[in-house]
Amino acid sequence: MLRWVLGGGVLLPVVSIVALLLLGAPTGRGMLPLPLPGGEEVELIEVVGHQWWWEVRYPGDEDQNDVVTANHLVMPAGEPVDFRLISADVIHAFWIPRLGGKRDMVPGRHSTIRLEADAPGVFGAQCAEFCGAQHTNMLLQVEAVERDEFDAWLAERRTPPEQVEDHDQAREAFGEHCASCHRVEGLPDEFAVGGREYDMEGPDLSDIGSRPTLGAGVLPMEEGAIAYWLQHHQTLKPGNRMPPHDHIDIETLENIGAWLETLEP
Amino acid sequence: MSDTENASLSPEARELHDGLDRVWGNPRGLRALTVVNHTTVGLRFIITGAVFFLIGGLLAMLIRTQLAFPDQEFMSHETYNQVFTMHGTVMMFLFAIPILEGLAIYMIPKMIGARDLVCPRLTAFGYWCYLFGGIILTSSLLLEMAPASGWFMYTPLSSGEYSPGRGSDFWLLGITFVEISALSAGVELVVSILRTRTQGMALHKMPLFAWYILAMALMIVVGFPPLILGSILLELERATGMPFFDVSGGGDPVLWAHLFWLFGHPEVYIIFLPGAGIVSTLIPVFAGRPIVGYGWVVAAVIIMGFVSFGLWVHHMFTLGIPQLALAFFSAASMLVAIPTAIQIFVWLSTLWLGRPVMKLPMLWIVGFLVIFVLGGLTGVMLALVPFNWQVHDTHFVVAHMHYVLVGGMLFPLMAALYYWLPQVSGRMPSERLGRWSFWLIFLGFNTTFLVMHWTGLLGMRRRVFTYDADMGWGLYNLISSVGGFMMAAGIALLLLDIALHFRFGKKASQNPWNADGLEWAMPKPPTAYNFVSLPAIETRHPLWEDPELPRTIEEGRHGLANIDHGRRETWGTDPLTGKLRETIHLSGNSWLPLLAALALAVVCISLLVRIYPLAAVATVVSIVILLHWSWVNGAHPKMAPDATVAPGEPPLHSRTMNGPGVWTMSVSHLANGSLFLSLLFGWFYLWTVAPEWQMPATSPLSMPMLVAAGGALTLGTLWLVKLVRRLRQHDDTGLSGGLYFAAALGALQSVLLGVVIWQADLAPTETAHDATLLVALLYVLIHALLGGLLCLLQGLRVGYGYVSAEVPYEPVVVLRLWNYNVVVYWILFVAIWGIPTLLGGG
Repeated sequence: MLRWVLGGGVLLPVVSIVALLLLGAPTGRGMLPLPLPGGEEVELIEVVGHQWWWEVRYPGDEDQNDVVTANHLVMPAGEPVDFRLISADVIHAFWIPRLGGKRDMVPGRHSTIRLEADAPGVFGAQCAEFCGAQHTNMLLQVEAVERDEFDAWLAERRTPPEQVEDHDQAREAFGEHCASCHRVEGLPDEFAVGGREYDMEGPDLSDIGSRPTLGAGVLPMEEGAIAYWLQHHQTLKPGNRMPPHDHIDIETLENIGAWLETLEP
Repeated sequence: MSDTENASLSPEARELHDGLDRVWGNPRGLRALTVVNHTTVGLRFIITGAVFFLIGGLLAMLIRTQLAFPDQEFMSHETYNQVFTMHGTVMMFLFAIPILEGLAIYMIPKMIGARDLVCPRLTAFGYWCYLFGGIILTSSLLLEMAPASGWFMYTPLSSGEYSPGRGSDFWLLGITFVEISALSAGVELVVSILRTRTQGMALHKMPLFAWYILAMALMIVVGFPPLILGSILLELERATGMPFFDVSGGGDPVLWAHLFWLFGHPEVYIIFLPGAGIVSTLIPVFAGRPIVGYGWVVAAVIIMGFVSFGLWVHHMFTLGIPQLALAFFSAASMLVAIPTAIQIFVWLSTLWLGRPVMKLPMLWIVGFLVIFVLGGLTGVMLALVPFNWQVHDTHFVVAHMHYVLVGGMLFPLMAALYYWLPQVSGRMPSERLGRWSFWLIFLGFNTTFLVMHWTGLLGMRRRVFTYDADMGWGLYNLISSVGGFMMAAGIALLLLDIALHFRFGKKASQNPWNADGLEWAMPKPPTAYNFVSLPAIETRHPLWEDPELPRTIEEGRHGLANIDHGRRETWGTDPLTGKLRETIHLSGNSWLPLLAALALAVVCISLLVRIYPLAAVATVVSIVILLHWSWVNGAHPKMAPDATVAPGEPPLHSRTMNGPGVWTMSVSHLANGSLFLSLLFGWFYLWTVAPEWQMPATSPLSMPMLVAAGGALTLGTLWLVKLVRRLRQHDDTGLSGGLYFAAALGALQSVLLGVVIWQADLAPTETAHDATLLVALLYVLIHALLGGLLCLLQGLRVGYGYVSAEVPYEPVVVLRLWNYNVVVYWILFVAIWGIPTLLGGG
C-alpha cells in the first residue's frame, strides 16, 4: 500500500506539476514586457482605470502631443503591444479576454502587460477587479487594426481639429456646465467660463463622435445617443460620477449632444 | 446512559454519578447563560453556525435569482453588491470557521478522554463574542448599510473616500469581534490537545482528528492576527485618517492585500483541515480497519500547515508581483498538491483494503472525494500564472473555490453530522430521507458549479450584478440557478430530517458504527462531565481493543473517580508521552464571560456609531471585568473549594510551576507575536515598497528615553526571573514587595513611553510613517501597562494567600508576558530607531 501512497501522493503530483510548469512558463514569459529579440520597439499604450470608465492614452514625444481617448482602444494587430496600466482611484483590472491575461491597475504604481492580436478584429474588454457600484458597466471596446491603419488613426488625432462655427451655443453651454471636468481639444478659451481642471475628472471628449459606445459600454453611439445619455445617465448607470443634469433644460442638453456627436477627426 | 442501564450500577457508582452531576450539571433558566461546559457551548456554536449558514445560503439564492436571466432587475446594483459581499463574509467568518470550531470544542475533549476544555470560561467567552459579532455584522443587512466592497475588502475601495457609509466599519469591527472567538478557541484547543489527553495517550496514539484540529488551531493562532492587524489599521484610517493604505500619505493599498491574504490563504486550510480530519476519522470506521499510514497522514497535515503560510501571494498574481516571487509562489502553490494527494491516496488505500459499508455518513464522504478532487485539480490549474491571469476574478474562480470549500468542508461536515448525531441524541439517523437530501445537494451543487467553470472561461467576471443577453451566458447561468435551488431544496430536506430525527429516530446502541474512538465510550446523550472515570489508553483504537471500556468507565473503575472535593477535574498529562503530571481543576459556571463579551459589544457598537467617550467607558468596564476574571482564578476559593488531593494522585495544577495556564500564555503569545510580526512587516513593507513613503532624516524618537523605558522593562523582567527562581526553591519571603517593585518598573516603562510619544510630536494623520510609529509605540505601551498591572494584582494576591510558595503558579504565567515584552520591545527598538538611524532615513 505504501507504493500507492507514494505513487499517487508524491510521484503523480510531482510529474504533473513539472509538466505543467514546463508548458506554462514560456506562455507566462511571453506576457512580460521584455525587450524583443530583434530589438524592435514595442508600441506602448497607457490605460488608466477610473470609477467606472477607461482613459486610453497614446504617449507622444517632444514633437507630438499625447493622444487621449476614452472607452475605446485602437491597437495595431499582428505585433506585440505593451499596455501600461494605471489607476486614478481604486484597484481595477484590465482584461481583454480574447487576447489573454488580465492585470490589476493599482493606485500609486503602474504595471505593464504585453498582449498581441494575431489578426484585425473587434474585442470586448472589461474591468475584472471589483471596483464599486458600477463595476459591471466598466467595458471597453478594443479594435485591432493593421499597422498603417493604426498609424493613420493616430495621425488624424494629432492634427488640430477644425473649428465648427455653427455650434457656438452648445460650446458655450459646454464651457459653462461640463468644461471643469471634460476636455475637448481645441475648445477656445472664451467658452470655458466654468473653469478648467480636467485632471482626470471625466473622460476627454475630443473624439467622442468616433467612439463605439457611451458610458463605458452602456449605450451604443447613435444619433441622439449623447443627448439621451445626458438626460438619463443616472438611470442608465446609477451612481456614476457625473452629477444629474436636472437643472439644465433639455434643449441645451440636446444642443450639446448634437455638437459632441460631430467631434471626430 | 439511560436509567435502566444506570440501575445495574452499584450504589457507590450511582452516588458518584449523582455527585458529578451536582458539580458539573448545567443550570436551567436564566442561569443557562452562565454555562461554560464544552458540550453545551460546542452545540451552541454549531447551532448558531447553522443559522448563519442558512442566512448565507439565502443570500446565495438571491444572487442566483438575479443572475438567472440576462438584464434582470430583481435587485439594484447597490443591493447586489451588499448581498455578494455578505454572502462571502457570512459563509467564511460566521459559518465555516465557527461551526468547525464548535465541532472541535464539542468533540476534542470526548476524543482525548478529558472532561472539559482547559479554560471553560474562555470557551463561553468565545461563543458570546461570536454571537454578538455575528449579530452586529448581519444587522447591517437589515439596516441596508451592509459592506459592499467584496469579502476581501480591498483598499482603497473599502476606505473612507470610496466607501463613505458605515458598511466597511460593520465589516472591520464585526469581523474583529468574531475573530476574538476564533483566537480564544484556537488557543484553548491547542493547549487542551497538548496537555489534557488522558493518561497514556502519547502523541502518536492520539486520534487523527485531534492532529488535524491541533494543526487547525495552531494555524488560527498564527493566521488570524495579520487580518486583525489589517482591520485595526484600516478602521484607524477610516475613523481618524491615518494613511496606512493611502498612496498620497505614504501608505500602500497592496499592504492590505498582503495582510488579508496572509490570513486568507491559511484560512482555506483552516477550513479544509477539520474536514479532512472528519474524513480520516470516518473512513477507517466504515472500512472496518485502521487507517493505512497514520504517520503519513500526520506528516501531510504538518506539511500542509506550514506550506499554507507560503501561498498567500497566489491570490495576488494579477496585482503586479515581481517575477521571481511569481515563480516561487506558483511552484509552492502546486506543491501543496503533494500532501493533499498523500491523504487522498491514504483514504483510497484504506477503503481498498477494508470492507467499506455504504452507510449515510460514508455517502457524504464519497461525495466529498469526488467534489474535492475536482476542486483540487482546478486549483493546480490556477497555480499556473498565465492561466491564472486569464481566469482570475471570473466565474471559473468562483466555481473552483466552491468546489474546494463546499467539497472540502460542507460535505465532510454533513458526514460528521450524521456520524456523530447518535452520540448527541442517542438516536440513529434515517437512511431514507438522508439519502434524498444527499442526492439533491450533490446533484444541485454540481449543476450549479460545474457549468460555472464554463461561464467563467467564456469571460463572465465575478461580482457583476447583471450581464448582457448578447454575451450568450444566459443558458449557463440559468442552469446554475436551477442547480442552486435544487441544493437549497436538499438543505431544507436535511433540516427536516434532523428535526424528525430527534423525535422519531431509533434508539442507538452504545457504539452504533462500531467505531474505535473514546467519544463512543460515554453515556448518550452525553453528560456534562463526559466520563465518570478517565481511562488510561494503550492504543490508537481503544474501543476496538477493549469493547468493555464504556462499562468500566461507567462503573468508575478508572481515574479521577472521586467528587467529594467538589472540584471540576480532568487529567493534566505530558504533551509527548501522555504521562500523568497533574490534576487540572477547572472553572465552574460563571457570568463573567457573558458580561465581558457584552462590554466588548458595547465597545464595538460605540466605535461603529463613533461615540468615542462611550467606547472609552466600555473599554474600561471590559478591562475591569477581565481583571476580575483573572482574580477568580488559581487558588481563589471559588476555583478550588477544597485543595486536598488523595494520596497517590498528582498535585493540583495550581500548585505546580508548569500547568496549562503557562501553556495558554505561551500559545497566546504565538498569536500576539504573529500580530507583532505583521506590524513589523507593515513597517518594512511600507518603507521599502510604498510609492510615496516619507522618512524623516533623523528619527523623531528620543533614543535616551527609549533606552530608559527598555531598561525599566529589562530590569523588571530580570527581577521577576529572580522571584520565580526563589519560588521554585520554595522561598516566598518578600514576594509581595518584589511583585510591587516589578509593577512599579512596569509603570515607569509606561510613563517613559508616554514621554517618547509626547516628545516625538508625530503627525499620524499626515504620513504613514508617523501613523505606523504611533501604532507600534502604542502596542508596546499597552503591553507595558498590562505587565505592570498584572504584577500589581499578583502582589495583592500574595496578601490573600492566593500566591505563595505553596501556590507558585501565577507569577510563572506573568513572567511569560514580561519575557515576551522584553523580546518584542528590543526588536521594535532596532526596527523603528536602530535601522532607520543606521541607514540615515530618507
